[in-house]
Amino acid sequence: MLITVLVVGIPFGIVARQAGLAPAEIVAMSVFIFAGASQFAMVQLFRDGAAWPVIVATVLLINLRHVLMAAALRPHFDVSVARRLAAAFVLTDEAFAMAIGWFRRGRTELAYYATFAVALYLLWNTATVIGMLAGPSIGEPRRFGVDFAITATFVAIVVLGVRRRSDAIVAVAAALLAAALAALGASVIAVVAAGALAPLLVLFIRDGRAA
Amino acid sequence: MTWLAIAGSAVVTYVVRAFAFRVALPSGLPRGVSRYLDALPAAIIAALAGPAILVPGGAPTRGPELAAAIVVVAVVAWRRNLLLGVLSGVATVAVLRLVLAA
Repeated sequence: MLITVLVVGIPFGIVARQAGLAPAEIVAMSVFIFAGASQFAMVQLFRDGAAWPVIVATVLLINLRHVLMAAALRPHFDVSVARRLAAAFVLTDEAFAMAIGWFRRGRTELAYYATFAVALYLLWNTATVIGMLAGPSIGEPRRFGVDFAITATFVAIVVLGVRRRSDAIVAVAAALLAAALAALGASVIAVVAAGALAPLLVLFIRDGRAA
Repeated sequence: MTWLAIAGSAVVTYVVRAFAFRVALPSGLPRGVSRYLDALPAAIIAALAGPAILVPGGAPTRGPELAAAIVVVAVVAWRRNLLLGVLSGVATVAVLRLVLAA
């Protein structure tokens, strides 16, 4: 899982640099936001010239799931408010998955979460800088298909996250709806609208529990 | 502009992470709500990819992007490897664009 962070973080640095973001902006994203999928989404939206409220709304929707994760972790964090708020800053899907597994095995030590989550944070930032420094040496983006790397990363993230039939249906519906809106000239709201509407489909799909 | 987007994104990301750590939610959200929230991130990410695959640069694709997306789905579904999938997709796009330009 720690290796995965490098494998995703380095491409993030590369595509962010190729999209024309300044090094300080790229580093600030990883230091202050620290959310992989959101940061890739931001790079694409910056490249498309989206307005800042659209970018912030997209990031909010991508990260809303963390409310559920924090709610599941909270009973195990019998510590001061300050410490809980610190734990929240490094909450990621990966840290959540490791911590919830740990607590379910009956363990209670919070040092496990802290160590793992902070290691992820440091690795993500290191990987960002490595990718950012390598970015300019990769050459003219369109010619080598590098402009497609960010799209390919989104597709790969979605495929890795498919656990049920409804996941695949929602993803395809969101992609088609966003493309249709973009083709009709509504590219500003395409992502937020398609991304917020498509998940409503799960309420109409009956399928089994996650495998 | 860029800095506003970064600062705003940092704030909303932290607020959603901290919210339930600070405020105890009533246990057991309605099942529909949790399923919706669960499906949301993948839908947003797919919505980001959709236009770049089907209408790259605002015009319908001539094929390379769609073919490459299919390659990425196949490779990632088969090997469960993100990097391998991305590299195959980039290579597919590069080769097909060269072929179409020839």
